[in-house]
Amino acid sequence: MTLTDLWVSFPLIVLVGGTLVLMIGVSIVRTHKLALGLTLLTLILSVAAHDIALENITTGYELFGLLNVSGIQVFFNVLFLLGAIVTALFAYPYFNERMERCEEFYILLLTATAGAMVVAAATHFASFILGLEILSISLYAMIAYPRESHQPLEAAAKYLVLSAVASSAILMGVALVYAASGTMAFAELNISPESGERSYFLLGQALICVGIAFKLSLVPFHMWTPDVYQGAPAVVTGYVATVSKGAVIALLINYVQATEVLSYTGVFYAVVFVAVASMIVGNLLALLQTNLKRLLAYSSIAHLGYLLIAVLVVNTARPELVLETVLLYVAAYFIITLAAFGIVNLTSEHATEDNEQMEAYTGLFWRNPLLASVLTAVALALAGIPLTVGFIAKFYVFAAGVEGTAWALVWALLIGSAIGVFYYLRLIYTMVKQVEPGAAALPQVGTQSVVAVTVLGLLIVVLGVYPTPMIDMIRTIVQASGF
Amino acid sequence: MLWLVPALPLLGSVVLLCTEGRLPKMVVAVVGSGSVGLAAICALYVGMNVVGTGEWQYTETLWTWMAVGDFNPSITLYLDGLALVMTGVITGVGFLIHLYATGYMWEEEGYSRFFAYMNLFVFAMLMLVLGDNLLTLFLGWEGVGLCSYLLIGFFHTDPANGYAARKAFVVTRVGDTLMALGLFLLFREIGTLEIQAALEGATATWPEGSGINTAICLLLLGGAVGKSAQVPLQTWLPDAMAGPTPVSALIHAATMVTAGVYLIARMQDMFLLPGPAMHWVAFVGLVTLFISAFTALVQTDIKRILAFSTMSQIGYMFLALGVGAWSAGIFHLMTHAFFKALLFLASGSVILALHHEQDIFKMGGLWNKLKIPFVSMLIGSLALAALPGTSGFFSKDAILLTAYNEASYGMLFWIGAVGAAFMTSLYTTRMILITFFGEVKTEPHDHSRINMWGPLLVLCALSIGGGWLGFMVLAPYMGDGGVAVEFHAELIALLTLGVPLLGVLIGYLIWGNHAISIDKFAASNLGERLRQFFFGGWGFDWTYDRVFVNPFVRLAQVNKSDFVDLMFTSIASLTTAIHLLVKQTQTGQLRWYATNMVVGLLVVVLIVIVQA
Amino acid sequence: MATVIPVDMWPFLIFCVVVFGLLGVMLVASWYIGSKARHGGAQDIPYESGIVPVGEAEDMRLSIEFYLVAIFFVIFDLETIFIVAWAVAFEETAWLGYGAAAVFIGMLLIALLYEYRTGALDWGIKRRVYEPGRYAKVDSA
Repeated sequence: MTLTDLWVSFPLIVLVGGTLVLMIGVSIVRTHKLALGLTLLTLILSVAAHDIALENITTGYELFGLLNVSGIQVFFNVLFLLGAIVTALFAYPYFNERMERCEEFYILLLTATAGAMVVAAATHFASFILGLEILSISLYAMIAYPRESHQPLEAAAKYLVLSAVASSAILMGVALVYAASGTMAFAELNISPESGERSYFLLGQALICVGIAFKLSLVPFHMWTPDVYQGAPAVVTGYVATVSKGAVIALLINYVQATEVLSYTGVFYAVVFVAVASMIVGNLLALLQTNLKRLLAYSSIAHLGYLLIAVLVVNTARPELVLETVLLYVAAYFIITLAAFGIVNLTSEHATEDNEQMEAYTGLFWRNPLLASVLTAVALALAGIPLTVGFIAKFYVFAAGVEGTAWALVWALLIGSAIGVFYYLRLIYTMVKQVEPGAAALPQVGTQSVVAVTVLGLLIVVLGVYPTPMIDMIRTIVQASGF
Repeated sequence: MLWLVPALPLLGSVVLLCTEGRLPKMVVAVVGSGSVGLAAICALYVGMNVVGTGEWQYTETLWTWMAVGDFNPSITLYLDGLALVMTGVITGVGFLIHLYATGYMWEEEGYSRFFAYMNLFVFAMLMLVLGDNLLTLFLGWEGVGLCSYLLIGFFHTDPANGYAARKAFVVTRVGDTLMALGLFLLFREIGTLEIQAALEGATATWPEGSGINTAICLLLLGGAVGKSAQVPLQTWLPDAMAGPTPVSALIHAATMVTAGVYLIARMQDMFLLPGPAMHWVAFVGLVTLFISAFTALVQTDIKRILAFSTMSQIGYMFLALGVGAWSAGIFHLMTHAFFKALLFLASGSVILALHHEQDIFKMGGLWNKLKIPFVSMLIGSLALAALPGTSGFFSKDAILLTAYNEASYGMLFWIGAVGAAFMTSLYTTRMILITFFGEVKTEPHDHSRINMWGPLLVLCALSIGGGWLGFMVLAPYMGDGGVAVEFHAELIALLTLGVPLLGVLIGYLIWGNHAISIDKFAASNLGERLRQFFFGGWGFDWTYDRVFVNPFVRLAQVNKSDFVDLMFTSIASLTTAIHLLVKQTQTGQLRWYATNMVVGLLVVVLIVIVQA
Repeated sequence: MATVIPVDMWPFLIFCVVVFGLLGVMLVASWYIGSKARHGGAQDIPYESGIVPVGEAEDMRLSIEFYLVAIFFVIFDLETIFIVAWAVAFEETAWLGYGAAAVFIGMLLIALLYEYRTGALDWGIKRRVYEPGRYAKVDSA
């Protein structure tokens, strides 16, 4: 271990160190504010530590043969940390109102984020599985965190069991791949066409794909999504939808680029099947959904299907376009999703249950124009309407699909989007509808969450109208990472 | 700096829309007219700079949306001589009209809404003329159409106004559709909608002329005809007078209706390619100018007279474009903006003083009671009739001379144009004499203030001196040598000069001292029929009602259940049905989910094995 | 993309068929061979070594401490394995290994402290860390 190793892994060290400090802090004196403060401090320091890490890497830096840190990983890590910061900010008023002991949530949040960072940088099955399990186990507890209520427990139990199925699929896959190729490092994974173990190798890859597809909630491994999204507290749902999926996406793009696994026809078609099914079925499932959290769950299924297009053209389109698309899409998806669950969260702050029925948003335009505007921006962005960041992201996917001549996927994207517009507009329609006289008053909302949500809403629009700085930044990162 | 010119009116509009009339009227007036005034100053400044460089061209990229591969949409402003003239007219004349409107609209409901729409209009119009891309132009084109719709129907409590607004919208939409088709065709053939690139592409692709080029030109002409109220899509303009008078002055006289002229002038390189497109433009202009001049002669509503006169003057501009007198056409556009705005605003003052009386036969003897409106109206009329020395004279003269020199149909164009010039001075004289002289029929109450008569005086000066402005500013602006008055054919020049005077003289003899009596003719059967025919705008409305509107209404009645829609609703219900089906899979039961995962896993493994 | 299944896949396919076949046989066979029990009566009473059960199942709550102690044992036991593995390679890993192990054990200590202070190690009545303002609410209520 050299000093450079230390500097490059510094963000992770800061994060883990912060977690330990927080644990000690919680042991000594329990105050919610202190826990939040320590968490935010840790996260911000970790973001700052990426600056040090960046100075020590050129195109990429191999850490212990387990992790590879390049500009792209730094981009993802900062996204995860920012996502965690937003989650922490949303969590404070939410838990402060309804829970007695809220401090452990932040410990879990930090460990989950650390797991996500490891997954995103993994170049070896060992680090991949280790990171994934740190992330997942933290998530189970986070989902079940309001342990007095029934729904979060149910959601956590479902997620635990099904996630275990997916994890075992991945482990089995890794075992098969290892048996066939004799290595667990991504870059060395390949097998000659004549090899007798080729079938085990492919079988292993298929199982790994299944596991990843589960984590990304892609059809047909998507069924947990709406139940978990609905059952988990809105803050946690936002986190599951963004950071945990973002980490797996980062891993996926690393993995397919390092192993060229998609050049095996069978694996390629399996992923195409998953992508097309996700785009179509995800949108169809959302069509008449009346629960906002479930609607967003189905919508996320479809969106990850779209994103899979960029991954699938990895061998036919320019690699820098693929990476730009993935980075941009994930960033856009983070902003939109956090804003969406932020609104659900902050209208639920003082309620006993999450404010998740779409009826509750009837006439929001006349009751709280600011929140309604943000939610409208969210809906438009999810639908991919121009002048929102969602359009830029979708357009990138479209461009990548066209460049990679993946016509079937592009068609699925178009059909899926067309179906999608219906239910996103229905959400907006609900908000514009006149309030009935006897309707319950809108729950009171706290100011700091409103500020956070408004900033996210503004980002959706500003980056949609003037995306050039973001695009330039991503392009620079991709180029600096050697593409 | 150029971006400020459209940005200021947009800002004004946004401010006014967002405050929704919560601001005091005084502030609204300052914001509403001030934003356009500042824009005018900016335009002047930018114009001076651009002229100063001697380049006559200036591009400013406002904003690049995103750059993905070759896809690189941006909004770029492009300023050249043509755009500069238009910008000057829109902001300069626009500012004067806004200023006037602060007084004119003072008593009306929705003061703030009015200025919000007006500012929005100015913004859209500026985007139309400054856009370097036909797409931007088209957005501005639709934007001004929308504002026109909103402002015609401004007094929305009267359903007739709403009808007029709808008519204007629908009729221009016919033109817009043609134009959109033209743009699609252009994009398919040339592959770009950037104006300069498209023009270069067109001249390079079809140097010999081509049917496609002609088709594109004619489709664009269709759009221009709709927006500029030329035959056969002219019927909306007289009804559009339902809007407040400043609206008529700004939108339906000075700026929006000249957008068609601008479009053709902008795309002149394509029209100049061999083919019949130019003659079509000229004929459209000629027919319109003739028909509307006759119609104006028998109208009784002062604003309708001016509306028909506007159509006829734009006919002149089309004629000018059609014979290749580009700068003369644009010159006339500018002078017309001056004197027609003046006429509308002056008539607005008269109408306001007479408590919204618009029938000229209920006016009379106003000349010494409403002095400023009278003088303004007189000067405007002189310019409209193109009497020597006024701005209208120079521009119209330039058009007539170029028309005469046109190779194939020059004589026909010239005769038609001169005939219409005679008619113009005739109906103008009639309007002035009946409105301001004779016995007093209604007692006026003038309470106009400086913000109303100030703009009138400025426009008076421009109507007279605008011709000289043309020589100074416009002369070098386009490749065809600019505007120059050449008296090469003595007789022609004499006729051009003399015909308007003759018109005034005959007009005076008929309506001034009644030396010539037309009562007998008017009372005769033929006279009455002719009057009816002219009055109704040559039966265009009547025909359209029977040929298009009524059959369409009947068709709509037959098709109440909407057969075409069935196709779409069936897609919707199919999707819903599938949704209900797949929804069943979401049971909430863990064992079912796990089973499904295993099934999915098997499917994936199967695909991998079979494809391996 | 040959649609012919490669030769070396056969053993795996046969394996799959055998596994699922066996499962199917077991399920189907037990259905036929097994006794068709009628529900009701003694069938619905839990079997507790021949003794008639006392009270309802819901009253039979086991203290959560049993579970906690069990899980702590598993966790610390697993960690012992890591430490033993490091001890075996103590010479080879040298100071770096020593440092890593120290960090690891440090983390365990912090975890232990946390568990102690949250009262996870207490049996019966929980001691709790001082939580400013929290009990005031409860007390006054």
